[in-house]
Amino acid sequence: MIDTLENIFLHAIFAAIPAVGFAMLFNVPKSALKYCAMGGAIVYTCREFFITLHLTIELSTFLASVIIGIIALYWSKKNLVPRPIYTVASIIPMIPGTYAFTAMISLVDMNSHGVSIELIAIFIDNGLKSVSIIGAISFGLALPSLYFMRYKRPII
Amino acid sequence: MNYEEQTKITRAVIKSAVLMLEFGAESILIEQTAQRLGRALGVDSVEISLIPSAIVLTTLKDSQSVTTTRRSHHKPINMSIVYDVQKMTIDAEKNPNLTADYITTTLKNIEPNYYNRWLVVFMVGLSCASFGYLRGIDFNGFFVTFIAASIAMIIRQELAKKKFVLILTFGITAFCATAIAHLASYFNISSTSNIVLSASVLLLVPGFPFINSMLDATKGYLSMAWGRWMQASLLTLATSIGIIIAMSVFNIKGW
Repeated sequence: MIDTLENIFLHAIFAAIPAVGFAMLFNVPKSALKYCAMGGAIVYTCREFFITLHLTIELSTFLASVIIGIIALYWSKKNLVPRPIYTVASIIPMIPGTYAFTAMISLVDMNSHGVSIELIAIFIDNGLKSVSIIGAISFGLALPSLYFMRYKRPII
Repeated sequence: MNYEEQTKITRAVIKSAVLMLEFGAESILIEQTAQRLGRALGVDSVEISLIPSAIVLTTLKDSQSVTTTRRSHHKPINMSIVYDVQKMTIDAEKNPNLTADYITTTLKNIEPNYYNRWLVVFMVGLSCASFGYLRGIDFNGFFVTFIAASIAMIIRQELAKKKFVLILTFGITAFCATAIAHLASYFNISSTSNIVLSASVLLLVPGFPFINSMLDATKGYLSMAWGRWMQASLLTLATSIGIIIAMSVFNIKGW
């Protein structure tokens, strides 16, 4: 039990680092950095938790993004900061970068070495995974603000 | 309100909208900010038409309308400018006697909040190494990923400073990152060299355009969504081509 707790804690910290690193890449205001770090840790821990409940990776990603979407809604109302500043940096640890690159690489491979069943399988596998995870992330992020769009008034 | 005054207001509003579009805000935020700023400055309504490379904006007051168009040039994402524009809009709403001239000078004086260069290099290197850690890298691999990603970030900053096109920057950076990460398997430093290879190029994932594109699509800005999706796909393709060239030049196997 202590071992897994320590693991969860370590993973949360190592998910917070990329969130802060990419937040700096996007030049977020300095006051938002600590929220981005918290967001990254929350998102990754939630997703790990849902995956241990045997949900698929897409569904876990979606639920984690909904959670950070709602939390960021609260933060942005409190600090009067546009939501993407918090959300996009926070979900960075979940972005399926390797899947997307692998799909593109297999596409170029098909062109240079000829098409084979394995390459097609790699392309479709990774391409579908990356598109569905990106879709899950952004639909999860959009959901809380779609709820508020009924009133046709800005969130902050 | 006479025509000159309304033109001034229109110019101030479109300037803020163009700033937000150029530095990577999502479409609904651009539209809402323009409308709120317009109303705060005293026009009846603001209608805006967005495409990825330009903005057309009309302000209406009584029976008089002013329309103007601005080209937007693509720039690296900078959230602090988006934040400043949004904050200025909220100030203008709270303060009804602000003039269009004041808005224009404020927009001119917005300073991008740049972090210290070496701090960004360190943090981005550490970020890529952390991605590797989350996927089960060993200690030597962690170190090599950190070095590779940091050097790649320095190269990216140098290329950005020389104002290269984003696609070229991404391709060249991916090439260099893969070449350096290759050292891990070349000298047999790490047993998880495939994770080193894939983690050290993760600083080039165009996460912001992808997310913005899907957010725009769900909120009904379909042409913006396609434009951003295309841009993000192109950047991913450029990165992959950089990786592939490095893989064939250095004969790297096992991506």
